Amino acid sequence: MIELQHLTKRYGGTLAVDDLSFTVEPGHVTGFLGPNGAGKSTTMRLILGLDAPTSGQALINGRRYTTFRRPMREVGALLDANAVHGGRSAYSHLLCLARTNDIGAVRVAEVLEQVGLAGVARKRVGGFSLGMKQRLGIAMALLGDPGVLMFDEPVNGLDPDGVRWIRDLMRSLAAEGRTILLSSHLMSEMALTAERIVIIGRGRLITEATVAELTSRYPSLEDAYMALTADSIQFGAAR
Amino acid sequence: MSVLAAEWLKIRSVRSTYVILGISLATVLMGFALATMAAGAFDNAPPARRPDARISELEEAMVIVPQLCMGILGTLAVTSEYVTSLIRTSFTVVPRRWPVLGAKAVIVGTLGLLVGPVAVFGTYAVSRLAIGNRFSGAYTGPFIDKLPILVATGLTVPVFALLGLGLGALLRSAAAAIAVITGLVYVFPIIIGNIPEPWSERLGSIMIGGLPRQITGGSNDSSVYGSLLSPAAATAVLLAYAILPLLAAIWATQRRDV
Amino acid sequence: MKAVMSSEWLKLRSLPSTYQAMGAAALMVVLGMAWTFYVSGLADQRGSLRAAAPEEGFLPLVQISLSVLGVLAITNEYSTGMIRTSLIVVPSRSTLLLAKTIIVGLVTLVAANVILLLTYSVSRLIADGHSLGFNTTPLTDDLPILLASGLSVTALALVGLGLGTAVRSTAAAVGSVVAVLFVLPGVVNYLPPPWNSRIATFLLPNLVPQMAGERLSTRLGDGLLSPWAALAVLVAYPVVALAIGHHILRRREA
Repeated sequence: MIELQHLTKRYGGTLAVDDLSFTVEPGHVTGFLGPNGAGKSTTMRLILGLDAPTSGQALINGRRYTTFRRPMREVGALLDANAVHGGRSAYSHLLCLARTNDIGAVRVAEVLEQVGLAGVARKRVGGFSLGMKQRLGIAMALLGDPGVLMFDEPVNGLDPDGVRWIRDLMRSLAAEGRTILLSSHLMSEMALTAERIVIIGRGRLITEATVAELTSRYPSLEDAYMALTADSIQFGAAR
Repeated sequence: MSVLAAEWLKIRSVRSTYVILGISLATVLMGFALATMAAGAFDNAPPARRPDARISELEEAMVIVPQLCMGILGTLAVTSEYVTSLIRTSFTVVPRRWPVLGAKAVIVGTLGLLVGPVAVFGTYAVSRLAIGNRFSGAYTGPFIDKLPILVATGLTVPVFALLGLGLGALLRSAAAAIAVITGLVYVFPIIIGNIPEPWSERLGSIMIGGLPRQITGGSNDSSVYGSLLSPAAATAVLLAYAILPLLAAIWATQRRDV
Repeated sequence: MKAVMSSEWLKLRSLPSTYQAMGAAALMVVLGMAWTFYVSGLADQRGSLRAAAPEEGFLPLVQISLSVLGVLAITNEYSTGMIRTSLIVVPSRSTLLLAKTIIVGLVTLVAANVILLLTYSVSRLIADGHSLGFNTTPLTDDLPILLASGLSVTALALVGLGLGTAVRSTAAAVGSVVAVLFVLPGVVNYLPPPWNSRIATFLLPNLVPQMAGERLSTRLGDGLLSPWAALAVLVAYPVVALAIGHHILRRREA
């Protein structure tokens, strides 16, 4: 479970996240939507302790992220698939990360198999396509078999096969009782994957609802998104 | 021409450029501080020892700071594009590729050409001002006699900028390029100083640090550098430091995958 | 902590740049051999001569190569964005930097000492029978300068790590290390006495001879520090650099 309590982040004069409170429950995929610059990535960075909130707090299973001794076993996160060193092999990259949390090489081989990268495990990451890097990022998130997972735009760069694979993966991870927070700009994909939706704009909460509620009030999830964010399309802190 | 404008904008729009230029020009202040210290030491010395007190050329000592800085500027002009993959975009919009490096060379070379003489002449001026007629040696003769060596010393700075650019494009790594420059400028002379003759003199003559004096027909007697080259040959060697790595880099970039 | 160290060890081992930096440093052995062959040949013509010891003459090569390794240990994480991934899996920034410090420190200490000892013994073997000046003293007399040289390499690598953490840029950090190693000593040489030796005595490259109880140079004469005081100053360099890096790492957004 992820709980945001009056989370606020100010960069200089810009309010990137403004008094944001919502809860992400286990057992289903929660879609995290908002225009570019709405503060989605910043919110995820705050949850993961990469940035310190100006005020308020973000809790995972009741604790702040930075207090976990083995965070990968609690939370798996993919923020930026390109944030890897191109000179390492996929296997070495994952093993570097696994070791910090006492996760063994066997598990690394398992997740590589699971995301379909076992065949290129010894290849340099620098030669990977964006889609392959997304798979590598998802493998990293799954390493610790965590109960909470967060993905920022994981569908970018994936082929149709990969898109369907991610959709099925997200749903099955949620069906196992995990908490899933998934950000994406692909509304049709989100409508198929998520059960609940959180929409933010200019750092503030706009709507928290189920996909069913939104599609009963609007013709489609896309229409709901367009109508609800119409006033919020303005670039804030682009981080 | 438009490539030149684009490269100028690139270098103008990153903060590191200003930091590097700032440090390069701050050598004038450091030179002034050193000269003031020296003047103070002279005044405090017993009068009997003053006639023997000599001072070396501070602007020739301090020039290593703008040299290193502009070498880094030249390196970063290209390696920063490799780190961010911007180089792909750059080579996509200019598919012949060499104009990109050519334009970068013009920009960093020109910056070096401005910064070098300003730093060298500036350091000379403030040092002369602070020292007055105290020491014998560097700051006693007429300015016109110093002009050639000051110009030659200043001109090594754009050479470093181009050397950095060439090595950066060739090695595609800021760390490697700066390490090679360091080896060439600092590590080699130390090693050469330890080599027995005749190679110490021979190799010492082609080190960048020893070229300005040879270009002006002087000698490097009190240093690790040699004095075997004629002014024309020394000038050619100095230019070779700038041009050869750059040509090698252009040759490599035309052939290599990005 | 052990887990993070094991990860940092793997990070270092799995990058080509680590081997390139090590290779550049290990060139000292080859250069030392070539050097000894060359001066031995000269000694055949001239009887005996006084040549510089290769493990001292080529020391700057090892110093700069392995300090680049220290710089890259952190700056390549910043340039690739890997630092964000690293901080997600190790939220404690102090732990991350401490693990890097220990691994870089150990790796460079072992590498530097192996390279220095190899150069030392190979050159003595090649010089066998010739009188080259540097090969007349027994190992026990040379041990202090060898140990001091090895320590200076580790100190510089950790200065590189600390500065790299502080400035987050490979170029700026390598430039700063070069300034500490070469530019400052070069400029200080031009100071009028007594300031030249007063300041030079605290500069990192000059701490090596002082730790071994030798003079700085013919020009600067004896240093002001006793061997133990010189060791303390040497340790202070990386401690200060890492403290600055740590402070900035803790406070800044990743």
